[in-house]
Amino acid sequence: MAPTSLAGTQAAFMALLLKEDSPLPEGLDAERVAIYRNAYRARLVDALRETYPRTARWVGDEAFRRAAAHHLIASPPNSWTLDEAGRGFADTLAALFRKDPEVTELAWLEWAMHECFVSADATPLDAAGFAAATAQYSESDWARLRLHFLPGTQCTALEHRIHALWPLLAEDSPDEAARDGDYRSEQPIACIVWRQALKPVFLPVSAAEGNTLSLLLTGASYGEACAALVHRLGEDAAVAEAGTMLGRWLHEGMIRAVDVAP
Amino acid sequence: MNEKGPGTAPRYGLGLRRAHYDDFLTGRVPVDFVEVISENFMVDGGNPRHVLETVRRDTDVALHGVSMSIGSADGLHGNYLQRLRDLADRIEPLWVSDHVCWTRTSAHNSHDLLPLPYTREALQVVCDNVHRAQDYLGRPLVLENPSSYLAFPGDEMSEWEFIAAIASRTGCGLLLDLNNIVVSAHNHGFAPADYIAGLPLQRVRQVHLAGHTDGAIKIDTHDQPVSADTWALYEQVMPMLPGVAVMIERDDNIPPLPELLHELEQARALATRPARCSRVPA
Repeated sequence: MAPTSLAGTQAAFMALLLKEDSPLPEGLDAERVAIYRNAYRARLVDALRETYPRTARWVGDEAFRRAAAHHLIASPPNSWTLDEAGRGFADTLAALFRKDPEVTELAWLEWAMHECFVSADATPLDAAGFAAATAQYSESDWARLRLHFLPGTQCTALEHRIHALWPLLAEDSPDEAARDGDYRSEQPIACIVWRQALKPVFLPVSAAEGNTLSLLLTGASYGEACAALVHRLGEDAAVAEAGTMLGRWLHEGMIRAVDVAP
Repeated sequence: MNEKGPGTAPRYGLGLRRAHYDDFLTGRVPVDFVEVISENFMVDGGNPRHVLETVRRDTDVALHGVSMSIGSADGLHGNYLQRLRDLADRIEPLWVSDHVCWTRTSAHNSHDLLPLPYTREALQVVCDNVHRAQDYLGRPLVLENPSSYLAFPGDEMSEWEFIAAIASRTGCGLLLDLNNIVVSAHNHGFAPADYIAGLPLQRVRQVHLAGHTDGAIKIDTHDQPVSADTWALYEQVMPMLPGVAVMIERDDNIPPLPELLHELEQARALATRPARCSRVPA
């Protein structure tokens, strides 16, 4: 290997790990470089398998290994934490499993649960706390009410009953045959992920509730989210649904604080 | 800077691994300290932080990192240092350690402990990075000798000369991984005795014991019991390291806790046995 700067040596060595056909610098032993390349791939594929165990069981070990290897090539890790290696894997799977969209939805749920597992701690607001916080609100305040959800709370629209598939793909699930079936949902649905104490959990909800929560998570006021709900369901149904949703989010411990937008 | 020297530190510890969380949370585990992989706890919240903070109430903790990339030519990652300092401020560890290696370029992270060329340029890079890390963390780093499978043809010094120079120039402590010496000695054809003789042993704060996979090239797998040749080196070296903390490092194929405690007991017994020979095996 010709004398080179440390930066050059490290860039060349990293290229050897990422791409097998990268030029081998003079003086380096190919067999020994391969030890590092194989360890890199094995470690990252294992990390993805650990983050997406149910997706791996659903698509099968070999298909998962190929998908993970593809992801490493398309999106080589650049974060200091191995936990981030799986970011974007659902997008990789969407491109690889175009005819099996439930794979992407399952991976989305596993990633959301993974992120939620280490999100910041917060104490949820209960119904009494919510009542006290909003006791003096005027009608205008209610329209500008903002709900702040626990860190890590996520929501997405789904076309498949991933919640039904989830327990069947647990490590200790006894019957692989029970997974057979069509998991397409007759109605569009959504899934909320949040954390109860230390445990990430999820809840399947209607598409309308999912849409409402997604608006709130991206900064909409309660009034704005309710207006979208009226547009979707009509006024009477929307009023009833909005109250039911808010009650559920409080009961499940998803909301950490409320305030009024300026 | 805060620092606990040999003789004042807890002596015998284990790595705190997920498989044993319940053991540590529900009962008294007979160890003087635990070592944790720092990055696993450099998170915003949730169960990992809960477990570590609970264990810390009764047990000393050493923070052992794998991603500082102290040998990276483009310097240290600011967000990484900030997260590590936050963790250290919360946990008040015995010390903060990482490896003499590099893991990333500015573009990619290998998540592996990659070998450095042992050149004057690399030495300067490492020392600059150690100074920055120590200044930022407000404590001396403890650096572990790596295991490796290849050497660079442009090397200008031995690994032990490289590490001794880091310690001398930066004042950092050393974590002596005896398994890594056994692995690298086999892979590169040097004598463990030369390695040990070339290090400033007064800088050693901790010893790692681990297992590896044998072959034409030994692989540092940490997935099996401590090997016989590592135990032999340990028995020879410990009389030169009075009061230094010792840990069994197991990262894969993790057995039930009693099995590791048995290995730790073996470490305790060998370290307290009168030396049969003062020479390190060549």
